[in-house]
Amino acid sequence: MHATLCDLIMDLVQNSVEAGASEVELTVRETGKQIAFSVKDNGKGMSRDVQAKATDPFYSDGKKHAHRRVGLGLPFLFQTADAVGGRATVESEEGRGTLVEFRAAADHVDLPPFGDFAAAATMMISQAGSFELRIAREIDSDRYTLSRTELEETLGDLNDTQNLMLMKTYICSQEEDLRKAG
Amino acid sequence: MAKLTLDDLRKLRDEKKQAMNQRDAEGKTAQVIIGMGTCGIAAGAKAAFDAFLDEMDKTGVTHATIKQTGCMGLCFSEPTVEVKMEGMPDVVYGNVDEDTARRIVRDHLKNKTLVSDHIFDKPSTDIIKD
Ligand code: FES
Repeated sequence: MHATLCDLIMDLVQNSVEAGASEVELTVRETGKQIAFSVKDNGKGMSRDVQAKATDPFYSDGKKHAHRRVGLGLPFLFQTADAVGGRATVESEEGRGTLVEFRAAADHVDLPPFGDFAAAATMMISQAGSFELRIAREIDSDRYTLSRTELEETLGDLNDTQNLMLMKTYICSQEEDLRKAG
Repeated sequence: MAKLTLDDLRKLRDEKKQAMNQRDAEGKTAQVIIGMGTCGIAAGAKAAFDAFLDEMDKTGVTHATIKQTGCMGLCFSEPTVEVKMEGMPDVVYGNVDEDTARRIVRDHLKNKTLVSDHIFDKPSTDIIKD
């Protein structure tokens, strides 16, 4: 089971990139009462059939692990939503993309801790592939945004450790500012 | 910390770069590849990534790049990390927790010795000491 909500979010964004998306939009919103996130991509999407099965932990397209008939990405999300009386939804259209949404009450005792968003964002942004990832992070009415393309233009090679460290520092400063304001 | 703008970030980068230039000339001679599949993340690959970054920064290791890859098919030994470095055999480390990640930076990347007790894919028995 994933330890934090950030782990779940990372998994979803990774799915989008693996689905061949060139545009991925992640929104993570917190209010005193609720925590919600959504990932929208223009990747290859899922057929109705696959969609129906995608939440079943014992389903996998068998491509990643030829011999392992188990997939774990989305089921984690649904399991978590279920456990906390929240809601997770997937809308997908083959060839057009997928939208995954999650929301839950912020104070439910079984809700996993939020996790370190700056570290998670650094990893999501620096993962391999050519795609644009836009992140909108909101607490109450304050927000900041990140764009992978913009950060790559500013920093250069996103596998360079110095650059990764700088990126993390940058995102930390945005998070800190947001927490202060929020 | 004051909130940084993209311009600040650009400046920081240029400063770092200047300081780095000399060492940069030596180029990137090592690659750290971290398995970030679902199971990797669940097993703590994120903490490992973070520890690598932090330890490299602290110990001034600039000759390495960090890459993420999807699943490596090694669920049972996650987090899994492959290290490729000039003059060293390619090694796959298993069960890389935070502490092991820091040791890999200090021993493998800096001092060119293997972290033998975490080697998953043994290069050859005569290279590793038990
Ligand atoms: S999900 Fe575990 S190795 Fe692929």
